[in-house]
Amino acid sequence: MGSLTDKYCIVGVGETPHMRPSNRTTLSMACEAVSKAVADAGLKLSDIDGMTSYQIGDSTTSPHVATALGMRLNYAVDILGGGSSGEALVAHAIGLIEAGYCKTMVIFRAMNGRSGRRMGGQTPGGPIPVAVAEGDGQFNMGWGWTTPAQRFGMSAMRYLRDTGCTTRAFAEIAVAHRYHASLNPKAIHRSPITIEDHQRSRWIVKPFRLLDCCQETDVSVAIVVTSRERAFDLRHPPVFIMGGYARTLTDSPQWNYSRDEIHYVAGNYGWKRAFGMAGISHKDVDFISCYDAFTFTTLIQLEANGFCGKGEAGEFVKGGRLRIDRELPSNLSGGHLSEGYTHGVQMVIENVRQLRHRADDACPGWAEGRHTYDRKAGCRQLRKADICCGMGWGWENMASCLILRGIAA
Amino acid sequence: MPAPIDYSKLRIVPDFDTAEWWAAAKEHKYLVRQCSDCGHKWFPPIFPACARCGSLKPGWFETAGKGVIHSYVVVVQPIVGAFVGTAPYVVAIIELDDCREAGGSVTRVAGVMLNDEPEVAIGLPCEVVYEETADPRIVMPRWRVSGSAANAWRFAE
Repeated sequence: MGSLTDKYCIVGVGETPHMRPSNRTTLSMACEAVSKAVADAGLKLSDIDGMTSYQIGDSTTSPHVATALGMRLNYAVDILGGGSSGEALVAHAIGLIEAGYCKTMVIFRAMNGRSGRRMGGQTPGGPIPVAVAEGDGQFNMGWGWTTPAQRFGMSAMRYLRDTGCTTRAFAEIAVAHRYHASLNPKAIHRSPITIEDHQRSRWIVKPFRLLDCCQETDVSVAIVVTSRERAFDLRHPPVFIMGGYARTLTDSPQWNYSRDEIHYVAGNYGWKRAFGMAGISHKDVDFISCYDAFTFTTLIQLEANGFCGKGEAGEFVKGGRLRIDRELPSNLSGGHLSEGYTHGVQMVIENVRQLRHRADDACPGWAEGRHTYDRKAGCRQLRKADICCGMGWGWENMASCLILRGIAA
Repeated sequence: MPAPIDYSKLRIVPDFDTAEWWAAAKEHKYLVRQCSDCGHKWFPPIFPACARCGSLKPGWFETAGKGVIHSYVVVVQPIVGAFVGTAPYVVAIIELDDCREAGGSVTRVAGVMLNDEPEVAIGLPCEVVYEETADPRIVMPRWRVSGSAANAWRFAE
């Protein structure tokens, strides 16, 4: 980007409630999320001329949504992908709008992540009755080693060994993000937890306990991207895209385990480009979001994106540093760990709301940007929310990032 | 030792790139890919080209099936039905002793340990063991700890 910094904006966001189960099709949820995001921007569906989405063979497509909602599009593409794809599709939108293929684009993800296809192949009712191990699965399914928890656990275990960090550092992430969820009426889990609650929760796959793992929810999310010229006419203060990187890969991305360091993840290859484009340093960042599929993935993204030194994240997060009103607030909606699971887009949505100063919390005047900042009364709006760094994660191998700023920055 | 894996609930489907690997496992041989042009080794065999030189002529290298545990996880809540009665079980990443290359490249494989969690640690030597399955075409390589190491590291929480 560089020369495109601040030329493109996120102007609309929308989502369906996190449900378990939704009792709806992904198409039905996608129509609602897209409609809400477009309305949030103050646009009509006919103002949208491009649509993209991502999925893993578990969702509806842009042509289906366009048919259902009566939209005639100049561009419609649905890509294969999970985490880190939403931020990457923002980069696609910038390129398409810049090149004149489209004027205003909507990006969605719709998934029945609990009642439909679950990560790792588990059925809605539980373990896979008869597992068919083909393709990549020949070398993981046959070893009972399929879920993201089981796969990321390998790099987490090696990280603990290499750094001397303990799982109390994992707990810091769970506690901070849960506290933010307690301030979010939309979150699935809102009861605050302690480090000890984390340490006492049951094992899922060592080194991960239950409270290290994200939720599984049925949900759809959507965001609208357009140029700054159009953005100023719309309903909300625009949120400017300062920089980013899009689905950057490590070497050997589909077999992480022969790499020099299995916990040297993809963000390491991207962050200098993103901060260079944005023209900022880490100390300009007021808050962050991380792809918290697991507590550990947050920890390692802090290192990978240069917020702390290599091997130092455990020390960095100690004592509640990632909580609201502290040094580096993270995942202010509660994230995947506590709000629900959207393959990353909910973080972009929350970041946009924070940067607009319109977090949808318990404050009666939130929609007009009036907040009390009283956490005990359920306010989750940051006092100063000018610049945000949002970090996306696919696996160890794949990462994206979006650095955003509000109108005040 | 963990309880047996119920292989009747698992169907392995070899493909054009992996059929020879599974055929070798049936003969109790552990193969990795080796480039016919530059000699680079890699795993798993689903990748049909050499990531070092770009050659499209992958050959095979028969390893001695010995290595060192590089990392591991302990699956307490199983997801694959064949492993429901096996949990808790250890899946390990094993760095093969005879696949270290001059340029620093290593080849690491994965598999299910025959040992219970307390016997497993990063840094321990291990060796392959072959296990019959319910499918006469498929023999599954597993791994067992074969010695001790001064620098072994175990997850103790």
